[in-house]
Amino acid sequence: MNGLCFWLNGKELCYDGSAGDRLLDVLRDKYDLKSVKCGCKEGECGACAVLIDGVLMNACCVAMGAVEGHEVLTVEGYRETERFKVLSKAFADLSAVQCGFCIPGMVLAAEALLRVKPHPTEEEVRRALSGNICRCTGYNAIVNAVLNAAKEGDGLW
Amino acid sequence: MKEISRSIKKKDHDNKIEGRSVYVDDYPLTASGKRILCGKLIHAAYAKARVLSVTLPPLPEGYTYVDRNDVPGDNNVNIVLDDTPVFCRETVEYIGEPIGMLVGPEEAVVDELLAGVKVEYDQIEPMLDLRNGTEAFFDYHFGHGDVDRAFAEADKVYEEEFLTGYQDQTYLEPQGMMAEPEEDGRMFVHGSLQCPYYVHGAVARALGTGPEGVHILQDVTGGGFGGKEDFPSILGCQVAVAAHKTGQPVRCVYNRREDLEFTPKRHPSLCRYKLAVKDGRVTALEADVRFDAGAYSTLSAVVLQRGIIAAPGIYHIPNVRVTGKAIKTNTVPCGAYRGFGAPQTFFAIEMMMNHVAQDLGVDSITFKQQHFAKQGDMTSTQGRYHFPVPIPAMLDEVDALCALRRKHQAYSLPQTGRFRRGIGFSAIFHGAGFTGSGERDIIKATAKLRKYADGTVEVLASNGDIGQGVRTTFPKIVSHELNLPLEKVRYEHPDTARVPDSGPTVASRSLMTVGELLRRAAIRLRDIWQDGVEQEVEEHYKEPDFVIPFYLDRFEGDAYPTYAWSVSAVEVEVDTYTGRVQILGAYGSFDVGTPVDENIVLGQMEGGFLQGLGYASIEKMQYDEKGRIRNNSFTDYLVPTAMDVPKLIARLHVEEYPDGPYGAKGAGELPLVGPPPAYLEAVEMALGGMKRHRLNRIPYSAEDVILELNKEVP
Amino acid sequence: MVNGYKPGSLQEALDIRSRTDAIPYAGGTDLMVRNQKGAVYLFLNDIEALKQITDDGDMIRIGAAVTFTRALENDLVPPLMKEALSQIAAPAIRNAGTFGGNLGNASDKADSVLAALALDGRVRLASAGGERTVRIEDFFVKRGETILRDDELIVEVLLPKSRCSLPFYYQKLGGRNALAISRVAFAGVYDVQDGVIRSISVAVIGEGKFTRYREAEAALIGRTAEEVKENAAACADSFIRNMTFTRGRVSAEYRRTVVRNLLTDYLTSLG
Repeated sequence: MNGLCFWLNGKELCYDGSAGDRLLDVLRDKYDLKSVKCGCKEGECGACAVLIDGVLMNACCVAMGAVEGHEVLTVEGYRETERFKVLSKAFADLSAVQCGFCIPGMVLAAEALLRVKPHPTEEEVRRALSGNICRCTGYNAIVNAVLNAAKEGDGLW
Repeated sequence: MKEISRSIKKKDHDNKIEGRSVYVDDYPLTASGKRILCGKLIHAAYAKARVLSVTLPPLPEGYTYVDRNDVPGDNNVNIVLDDTPVFCRETVEYIGEPIGMLVGPEEAVVDELLAGVKVEYDQIEPMLDLRNGTEAFFDYHFGHGDVDRAFAEADKVYEEEFLTGYQDQTYLEPQGMMAEPEEDGRMFVHGSLQCPYYVHGAVARALGTGPEGVHILQDVTGGGFGGKEDFPSILGCQVAVAAHKTGQPVRCVYNRREDLEFTPKRHPSLCRYKLAVKDGRVTALEADVRFDAGAYSTLSAVVLQRGIIAAPGIYHIPNVRVTGKAIKTNTVPCGAYRGFGAPQTFFAIEMMMNHVAQDLGVDSITFKQQHFAKQGDMTSTQGRYHFPVPIPAMLDEVDALCALRRKHQAYSLPQTGRFRRGIGFSAIFHGAGFTGSGERDIIKATAKLRKYADGTVEVLASNGDIGQGVRTTFPKIVSHELNLPLEKVRYEHPDTARVPDSGPTVASRSLMTVGELLRRAAIRLRDIWQDGVEQEVEEHYKEPDFVIPFYLDRFEGDAYPTYAWSVSAVEVEVDTYTGRVQILGAYGSFDVGTPVDENIVLGQMEGGFLQGLGYASIEKMQYDEKGRIRNNSFTDYLVPTAMDVPKLIARLHVEEYPDGPYGAKGAGELPLVGPPPAYLEAVEMALGGMKRHRLNRIPYSAEDVILELNKEVP
Repeated sequence: MVNGYKPGSLQEALDIRSRTDAIPYAGGTDLMVRNQKGAVYLFLNDIEALKQITDDGDMIRIGAAVTFTRALENDLVPPLMKEALSQIAAPAIRNAGTFGGNLGNASDKADSVLAALALDGRVRLASAGGERTVRIEDFFVKRGETILRDDELIVEVLLPKSRCSLPFYYQKLGGRNALAISRVAFAGVYDVQDGVIRSISVAVIGEGKFTRYREAEAALIGRTAEEVKENAAACADSFIRNMTFTRGRVSAEYRRTVVRNLLTDYLTSLG
């Protein structure tokens, strides 16, 4: 029993705690990845959304045992990519970041969409972001930023 | 568009989107060299009870219990009055009231201990009824004209009642505060908050240190909307007392359920309105406004003041009598939320005007338009609308966006079939800045600019960026006046050890009031600028000369120097089989003066608009017969998602305010106020209008639609 | 693995299930909200045998660990099921939530269970000692309780192909347009040939249980769609009479009214 091993932002790690621990707590407390926010711990806000094997998941609703052998990506890893830069610029151009608390999850939800649908419609964007609650913006700026990023980042996704 | 309105990249953009911003829960456990202790509160289980005893499980070493006996100073939190205790007194007054706090190094252990705490209560019958409550924290009366005569001479008198529910701010980052005892004996308190100097005053008093014994920093704050105006003072005192007792840093972060259940919300209201109509014109208004204050007075005085001042809406009504009461109930204390009392009364007057118009057989848009106040008219408090009232032009703008007038008439005709449509309209103002003379007499804001030898400039003010962008707009103003690149002007999160008191981050005042101080300071700095030396410039608030002094005892004078205005329209389709109300489009024209950054202002308008639609429709929160809030999770308290209002269009209309920076007025609260009555008018219209279904309350959900339709005799 | 088991095969999983109290974990979306202290989980999320969607000629077989998102991407999954899945919560939940979890969680608001119920679905259960296949409505006892034994696992959901391509009616009412639990949901599948009803199903969320109304359904078989349409209200009544609605986030009256309206609409739209 050498703990459960998985990839975190490109690095292989072995976690020696309980398999029942929440991925959210482990990411924040053990690996100091504070971009992953805790908004409700019930899967109802998306502030803790991460990508697991490229698929959007709420880290509060994932036990460590389920992560074994899989690849977890948080904004700390994603921010090093070209795709992130395109998204970040698109968000900046529309001042789509207000309080910021939903944003890391929102950005990963956008990435999860664009990797399967590089040229989404507005409706598809809204649907893709529908599990990520933002109380500040009314969503327009965020949705438009994702649409703009899809245009600007043509070929990246 | 003015140069200043051109949007720029927000200064906090990179840190926030890259996940590098440090919110209070993000400080690593040993950030300051000492282990941060986790604090959790013991919340009262009954709405009213005498606390007979608190029995703790055996506490392991390093774990401590804290309650009112540990408060070194005053166990009363300084807010407006001082009736809110830091930790409960002999009785608890609402479910959730903090009795004590358990602190210790391991969160899991604190949780376990918490589950083992036994509190013995002697229950007392709670008071839960806003309608029949007799104990009023505040009871205001004002008016003008001869109301009795107007009613006596009226052709027709209308009376109606309007109800609004709770609304939770639902900032994405829950409440959280942290206190750290410092080497020099001071207590350093920081966290998610809007008003550093409010917390400063409260903590200094609770610790009994005097103002120099504490300092307060605003951490990066994940949304506020008013919810972090008063509450951080209470939580700040609690963690400070715990840190004082243990000598270690203590952090308390609410979980979402605690936050939804036990922190301040928008006051539920009950408004009884009476209108006199003669020759087709409203001649008098009598408004009886009751707000459910909850168990302690906190901010209810000022919330109620703003609410009742707005009682006649934007209409010129010659005779007005208003009474307002903040009723004490054994429920969670209500506090500040974007709009601050005004959404409740605007809802009442707008619906009332709709109903009177329908009874008179007039289109409500036309009827309202006949009563719009104009520049120079008297306000409800016998002040003046000193500046042009742009509402008629804004109405035309919204009409152009969504064919409001045409649809308003078309949808008013009888409809049959499963899906029926309606469109609603509202016109409202938001008084810019503090109510009354608060800015002049109480706040007396001071803001500073410090220029360093290297030619960079720092803004020193106490207004927190809670998402609304003051970390960007303040430097933008200063860099504009100094003709400096934006990178050379910075505004850090305020720490009361470093910044003067420029007042709280409330009342849509930061940009208008403090922004103007900074603009003037920048102009002075420009005039005295010397390269290579450090220079400082300070500016103090001065009330504009045109303002008619306000007397709170009589509610007389200019309650606000100027007003922001909005016109909203909401188009819906109601599914009469399921009750579902689909918002087909939401349209608004907003006048907040000159936008000091167009994107930032539009973001405020769109965000506030959606909150207003949530308030009107799906955001339902209620307590049960024991006084317990049932909707205490995100599964049960629903706020809009990205799919709920896909078509939401906000437009800016600029009526410049000469005493705001570049013509800017208050912005943040305005957009929430208008949508609720527009939404409900639309739903009522879809259901066949007032004569078939008279609607008078929000939130109004799919269930409400169905139950209302069930009343229809087939 | 501390406090957990992660078998590589179904056989291994059944073996662990037979000798431990570990809680079966598929998607985690409900279990982790419950957050039972010190829970030991039996992780099923990486067992290939439970992640397949196949067609055996008679049945579409959907593995218990298939996520809603995977099912939405698969051509074998019938349109009614996809309609229901597409309205569940939001992407992150659909990416994690599974068919087995939706059943095993024993919620009376499970949208995938409703669709399977309307499609005459079955659920295959297995233990180290054997297996059994039961109808959806027989699997579900009441809110919080199923017939799943301590040594059994849910293996797959079976949907009869004869039902999968039939016309259907589906409507979900949540508190908002996404990320919402069903307050009322309605699913029906029907087969009308030459104007005559050959088969019909009705399933609802709102009763606090999953059940079918066999008698009321049977009474419609053999009648013409036209005739049912003309008597839709009375026919709807024959179902409503057998329904008892719960109150909770919404009132029983709301649920009853909406189900009555949808039933009437459904019966009016046959053919």
